[in-house]
Amino acid sequence: MKKRMRSAIAIAGAGALALAISACGGNDNGSGGGASGGGGWILGTTDTVTALDPAGSYDLGSSTLEYNLYQTLLTVPANSTDIVGDAAQKCEYGDPKTLTCTLKPGLKFSNGDALTSSDVKYSFERAIKIQDPNGAAIYLLGSITKTDDKSGVVTLDDNAIETPDDTTVIFHLNKPDTTFQYVLTYPGAAAIVDEDVFPADTKLADEKVIGSGPYKLAQYKAKDQAVLQKNTDYTGDNTGGASQVFIKYYSDNTALKLAAQNGEVDVAWRSLSPTDISALKSDSKLTVATGKGSEIRYWTWRVDKGIGQNVAVRQAAAQLIDREKIASAAYDDTVSPLYSVVPPGYAGQKDSFKEAYGTPDVAKAKQILDKAGVKTPVALTLGWTPTHYGPASEDEMNEVKRQLEASGLFKVTPKSTEWEQYQTLYKQGAYDLWMLGWFPDYPDADDYLSPFLVNGGFFQNGYKNPEVNKLVAEEQGNSDQGQREKIEGQLQDIAARDVPLIPSWVGQNTAVYGKGMSGVESTLDPSFIFRLWLVSKK
Amino acid sequence: MAGTGSGSLPRYIAQRVLLVIPMIWVILTLVFVVLRVAPGDPISAAVGGKLDADALAQRREALGLNRPMIAQYWDYLSSVAHLDFGTTFSDNQPVLRVIRDNGGATLSLTLAAFAIALVVGIPLGLLAGRYRDSVADVVIRLFGILSYAAPIFFVGFLLQVYVAQPLGLPTGGASSPMTAFLVTPHTHILLIDVFLSGNGTAITDVLKHLLLPSLTLGLLICGVFIRLVRVNILQTMQADYVEAAEARGISRGKVTRRHALRNALVPVVTVIGLQFAMLLGGAVLTESTFNWPGLGQKLVDYINERDYGAVQGIVTIFAIAVVLVSVLVDVVNALIDPRVRY
Repeated sequence: MKKRMRSAIAIAGAGALALAISACGGNDNGSGGGASGGGGWILGTTDTVTALDPAGSYDLGSSTLEYNLYQTLLTVPANSTDIVGDAAQKCEYGDPKTLTCTLKPGLKFSNGDALTSSDVKYSFERAIKIQDPNGAAIYLLGSITKTDDKSGVVTLDDNAIETPDDTTVIFHLNKPDTTFQYVLTYPGAAAIVDEDVFPADTKLADEKVIGSGPYKLAQYKAKDQAVLQKNTDYTGDNTGGASQVFIKYYSDNTALKLAAQNGEVDVAWRSLSPTDISALKSDSKLTVATGKGSEIRYWTWRVDKGIGQNVAVRQAAAQLIDREKIASAAYDDTVSPLYSVVPPGYAGQKDSFKEAYGTPDVAKAKQILDKAGVKTPVALTLGWTPTHYGPASEDEMNEVKRQLEASGLFKVTPKSTEWEQYQTLYKQGAYDLWMLGWFPDYPDADDYLSPFLVNGGFFQNGYKNPEVNKLVAEEQGNSDQGQREKIEGQLQDIAARDVPLIPSWVGQNTAVYGKGMSGVESTLDPSFIFRLWLVSKK
Repeated sequence: MAGTGSGSLPRYIAQRVLLVIPMIWVILTLVFVVLRVAPGDPISAAVGGKLDADALAQRREALGLNRPMIAQYWDYLSSVAHLDFGTTFSDNQPVLRVIRDNGGATLSLTLAAFAIALVVGIPLGLLAGRYRDSVADVVIRLFGILSYAAPIFFVGFLLQVYVAQPLGLPTGGASSPMTAFLVTPHTHILLIDVFLSGNGTAITDVLKHLLLPSLTLGLLICGVFIRLVRVNILQTMQADYVEAAEARGISRGKVTRRHALRNALVPVVTVIGLQFAMLLGGAVLTESTFNWPGLGQKLVDYINERDYGAVQGIVTIFAIAVVLVSVLVDVVNALIDPRVRY
């Protein structure tokens, strides 16, 4: 009896302890709420920020803040690929090697300093001088820079930027380049900074950055949160939005999903997994909004050695791939099938792979291989990485493997490794066909063509076609947009014929938001610019 | 023997302190080597998916990654000696500021976890030892094993889904964004700064955010304390002086509380020091699970980004902390128990 009583006391004590711990948390739903008060709202994201000084960044996490903090000469309006003036009233090509921009009058930085053509010139000069390893300037501004062959040092061309008066900036390009105007929309290469604040040869500390955009930085804690407040000195068109926006950084998609479900963030944008999005769609407190995207996934062939040397093998695989099945089986239809290296929505885009191969067809694929005298099944090494493209990339790899093997024409051996090692291995030729992704720098079809098709592409797959190189140079130097689109169409057709890569899917721009939010849908477009000024909370 | 030099306390302390230097050097060297042996580098992690091989090579050169390893190692040791870890590559932050701004969050979490482990673990261990082989003993032992064995991320996820959401507690972070914005960082330890602010709403907010992460981490250590206290209570209760006390008519409860517990807690003091390293390891997982803005989560991020400077800086601080705590425990032990010095 005594023993039973002691046991009961012990259990009761443990229970009371547990209750006390729970009670400490309260139940008023207070801190769980995402409301930040004062008309502000909270954006949650898993993106990371490399630097808020534009000279040191080349990533989406940084540019999301930079688009709102700085102005560029030109910008991309929501749901459009036609670029318009931002700090510039207009930018016009005198000829394909000369671009003249005229600044809007009365521009000011958030510290009250006037923004003049001198600041514009200074911004480009310092970005190139700093040539930060994380920066975009030396990569994207090739039309106004030269590289020393011995030292590899990049310098601005002599007289590349001319400023005849306070409101005029003239760019003298070293080659005909009509894509340069698109580069001017990207803050990592072209954000305008205050020459009296930003040092000429080093990056400015993140918390000290000053811009002339619709918002100014009120607080920045790296990898934790950023607080943006309306810039009262802003004189541009992008007014509206909340007076204060909190951007909360999350370590992974699971933490972000939980925060969205618990109301700790008002908007969750990048990157929730397909499974997360499916789960959140059934939450009555949340809305899942989707816009067109521009992030693509594709499979690259090693064309200079192994089985990929034979174009018939590449074409047969392209004939077999069922993109709709990949989108549904691996991504719960949160992505769209992609039938060209250029995703839909870009001027000049055409579904060349669909035109060339139609629907997946085993008989046609067999015919291609038979005609080329290729013995089947063809042994193929499929490369993929589990640590860079999210958990669904394994599902995509399995689906591609299944489709190729179901035809009886291929025998697939998947090989995976961590992202760091993967980058080395695919360049060394460890895989016949391997998975890669791409996110554009500027809103033009050229950004999906020249990096992939010229001299083996950035991924060095060995594909070299003089006709392609010539067409890319023509397209870049042609100021007639209609003519450019025609050439871009030709390039996509050649890619479908030669198959240096097989496009797989294009992602959607997805955000999840809670009650009281408005304007989220209006900024979800292929540019992936999150325009905070379009979003508000009731 | 006690009077010989080899057994003197100052000499013992001096030996332990001097040993700190080679211990830290070994750790620093291991960190340096492991980072360089692991595939990848900061450049490929940041822009490897965008640039061609030549552009990547240029950027590696600009960062000094192609310099001889011995030169990089020497620079690293020199910077550590001057407590200058430079600026992080992946997010442009002075490493010392990362340590300052995030060390406070890790400290708050580990101290709160320790408090929970002590408050829960010692009474439960006492109860289990006092009522050996009872139902309560079995339940508590089972609880101790489970709390020690269950993976942190699993316990954390269960708490986030089944406790945080129903009770309206936050699932992650050290505070709401507004609190983090409004509280002035006097000490850079939010838990202290928020009390200094005197803002009741902010204090509640910070405590609510602290509850589940510290409970998750505390449960891990709690299991160790339960088992340790229980075993020591059982041993102490069999000692002659306990029997003598009971023979004098002192109640068993009183003997347990006043005599047995005190003696049983002596080994716990030692274990507290030994658990510090485990606590820091657990903090890394807890911070990742709860999006806690501490050094542990930063360490994981920087490792993924191959940010050599940041990883080296944070691991150095962790190593120094663990080594100093272990030295402190050795010294305290030597003070408490003179036999340790021989």
